[in-house]
Amino acid sequence: MPVRGRKVAIVGMGGAFPDCANLADFSNKMFSNKVLIREWPKAVEYNKQIRSMVSGFINENELGIEPIYPVAGVEYPETYVDTLGRIPDINLATADLGSVWAMIATKEAIEMAGWTTAETQSEQTGVVMGSGGGGNQIARLAWHAFYVLKKKTRMAGSHTIDRTMGYREAANVSCLIKNRGVCESIVSACATGLGNIGYAYRLIKMGLQDRAVAGGVEGTALETFIGFDAMMVLSRGFSAAESSRPFDVNRNGFVCSFGAGIVALEEYEMAKARGAKIYAVIDDYFNNSDGDGNMFYPSSDGQRRLWQGLSADVEIKPDVVKVHGTATPVGDIIELLSVVDKLGETGYHVSAPKSQFGHMLGAAGSVELITAILMLENQKVLPCVNSTNLNTELETFQKSPNWTGSMKPVSEYRHLIPQESFAKEINPVVCLNYGFGGTNSAMALSKDI
Amino acid sequence: MENQDLDRKEILNGLIEVLKTVRTIDPARLEGITEETDFMTDMDTPSTELINIAAKVEQKFGIEFEDEDIDELGSKVKDIINLIIKAKERANS
Repeated sequence: MPVRGRKVAIVGMGGAFPDCANLADFSNKMFSNKVLIREWPKAVEYNKQIRSMVSGFINENELGIEPIYPVAGVEYPETYVDTLGRIPDINLATADLGSVWAMIATKEAIEMAGWTTAETQSEQTGVVMGSGGGGNQIARLAWHAFYVLKKKTRMAGSHTIDRTMGYREAANVSCLIKNRGVCESIVSACATGLGNIGYAYRLIKMGLQDRAVAGGVEGTALETFIGFDAMMVLSRGFSAAESSRPFDVNRNGFVCSFGAGIVALEEYEMAKARGAKIYAVIDDYFNNSDGDGNMFYPSSDGQRRLWQGLSADVEIKPDVVKVHGTATPVGDIIELLSVVDKLGETGYHVSAPKSQFGHMLGAAGSVELITAILMLENQKVLPCVNSTNLNTELETFQKSPNWTGSMKPVSEYRHLIPQESFAKEINPVVCLNYGFGGTNSAMALSKDI
Repeated sequence: MENQDLDRKEILNGLIEVLKTVRTIDPARLEGITEETDFMTDMDTPSTELINIAAKVEQKFGIEFEDEDIDELGSKVKDIINLIIKAKERANS
């Protein structure tokens, strides 16, 4: 049970963002309405085998990282080198690319938080992070060496397990920072990033930990991209800058992207007492399941119950709703109308950062939470770029006799969906993310006043 | 005997080339390396890395070790050199 009076502050953040050198660069580009999605040479290389050709990707040799290959011509990165000297070689040896980003982002977040070594290494400091884990180059090549090339198991290298296991990001980060509290991963598909932060929030709220680094990661992997491409749910036929278009009538899928977002959380009074800068306060976190037995299709009822759960103790009236908004044909409008159902038709705006960097899967919830923190910090709303034309007709599901939500077409809600960033008073923000399996998660954030 | 010494020197040089590609080994420690150097105590090599070194050596020298040989492998440089010679002899016999 939550401990009365215990609140949770966000005191640091860090990440790996496509086409961005660092967090400041990411923030500048986001508020300048820039799109971080590019044509992906790795996908283009496979020509007609792949439908979608764009991604918010981070190359293995970006962000000061260099892959090391065992022998020339082998695409299996034996390990990585940090050319900027942030992560020791011994930690890099057990890390896949996503875990390397998680370690770099965690160091940034802890540095921003200003935790001492004793605080970081305390029994009261937890590591809670994970990835969607839809694919992994290291596992693929290890299997290939064994099954196809008939090599001995050792040719796959002795780090196949630590570099591919389910909670590898948390394990690698914990070994790096040497915390003595919990070390776990929450995995919930595209809600993973927010789910880990929500779980860490509860650990602190319930008095089980005082601090945590938490978030989500999705290391660049064509293997992941292939899986979604096979489902025909990826954007196709637009230029890179126009490919992610939540709410637009011509949207035809999401842009599969990669990255990492980590936040440093701390019990509010402790952070306040040591004079830490508080970037935001987490007001509440709630998650649930659709309960309709459908793996993929979003549920209006599930989302309605999500909002009820989030507002169960205190009525939350956000100025901005940071939506999941993937740009798949089915998801966006159900989500928008669930928001309208709860908040009414005016008095807030909707922000869809996936329109600028695509869908980072396991990292989506945490990187998008960072965009929400940046919105609070800058008092500017991030846009839904490419939401150029909104459907002037009712959606098919609105015509169903079972539909109890809004009976207006999306074009009637243009005033809620900005196409460019703009300044306004923002406090609080609500963040929404959903995942395959019908999992829904919501977090409310406010400024420290 | 002279030939064997020469072989061992060549193998050691080849082994050093392999070890230079192992990121968890400090390159500075490779300078004074001898056959008596111990990977664990002298070079702080993580135990999980020894199997990677063995796999790299197999690639470099075009040989294949038996699993039993690896199980019994000591942690000194001379142990790996002995194993390489054994695997080469086995391949030639």
